[in-house]
Amino acid sequence: MPQRPKLTRIILRSVIIIIIGSTVGLVYNTFSSKGITLKGSWSSKLTSDSVIVPYSYQKDDPPAVSLDYVQMKFQSSKVIFLDARMPVDFKAGHIKGAINLPYEEFEQFSPQVLPKLPVNEEIIAYCDGSECEASLLLSRELRDLGYRNVKIFFGGWSEWQMAGLLIETGE
Amino acid sequence: MKMLKTLIRVITDKRLMLLFRLVLGITFIYASLDKIANPDQFARIIYNYHILPHFLINIYAVTLPWVEFLAGLFLILGVFIESASLLISFLLLVFVVAISINLYRGVNLNCGCFSTDPAGTKEGAKLLIKDFVFLFLGIMIFFFNKSYVSLSVLIQKKSPANP
Repeated sequence: MPQRPKLTRIILRSVIIIIIGSTVGLVYNTFSSKGITLKGSWSSKLTSDSVIVPYSYQKDDPPAVSLDYVQMKFQSSKVIFLDARMPVDFKAGHIKGAINLPYEEFEQFSPQVLPKLPVNEEIIAYCDGSECEASLLLSRELRDLGYRNVKIFFGGWSEWQMAGLLIETGE
Repeated sequence: MKMLKTLIRVITDKRLMLLFRLVLGITFIYASLDKIANPDQFARIIYNYHILPHFLINIYAVTLPWVEFLAGLFLILGVFIESASLLISFLLLVFVVAISINLYRGVNLNCGCFSTDPAGTKEGAKLLIKDFVFLFLGIMIFFFNKSYVSLSVLIQKKSPANP
């Protein structure tokens, strides 16, 4: 049999490594206790109120609210907006009157911010948009701390901005 | 001219190639272990890159770590060294492209969110530099491998029937 050119043989062996590795991976995943389903649910979902929520949103999570609802609440001003994004993004622009509590730096920020949040007041958490999870994780944290009226606005900063609603910049 | 020749001889030295193989091999095995142990977290990271179509995310998360592990193992043992280094270089190139796309888009890879936070950009840039260094090692091994201290040479020596 004539010898294959060297490079072809090298590439072929690389493909073999991929095939063996993948097969081992699939078999291991089937028998591992930490195995995951091969077809994950990564797409956004719709709640019963037709609000788009990320794949990780659970039924018992704080309620997700729409832009209409948020806008109505904003006008009645009986609500606290909580921005879960990083301070730089908050300073660059946020919903008018919002308070910044970055989820990623919760421990550092919560001692100053939490006293400003009455436990029974309605709080609406948001981050940059439906792809971000900071608002969801922050609202879970607050719920566990005893805040009873937390809601999540998954449309977030991007939807608010696109709707041309009131914003402000700075601290 | 003489200095250049010496330099080339030094950087393509068989012992240096062995060192590169060990460094890259151990790195890939080490990196794969955490992903193998926590496929759910790894899938979440892949999702954060916003590049793969959703139906491929979990399959990729389950298979890639074992390919990394195997390629790393082959580099260390000295089996199919060219193939393993080619594969690793290709994977690193894919990572470099994926990280660059997200740096350009302004996605913070920690949370998968869009952010102007310089800390996120800095971390992405660090990751990029690290991958470039490993890519360099992979390419060096691919071109200058001399199979110093390797299983393949050992096997060939043991069986004289092999040309």
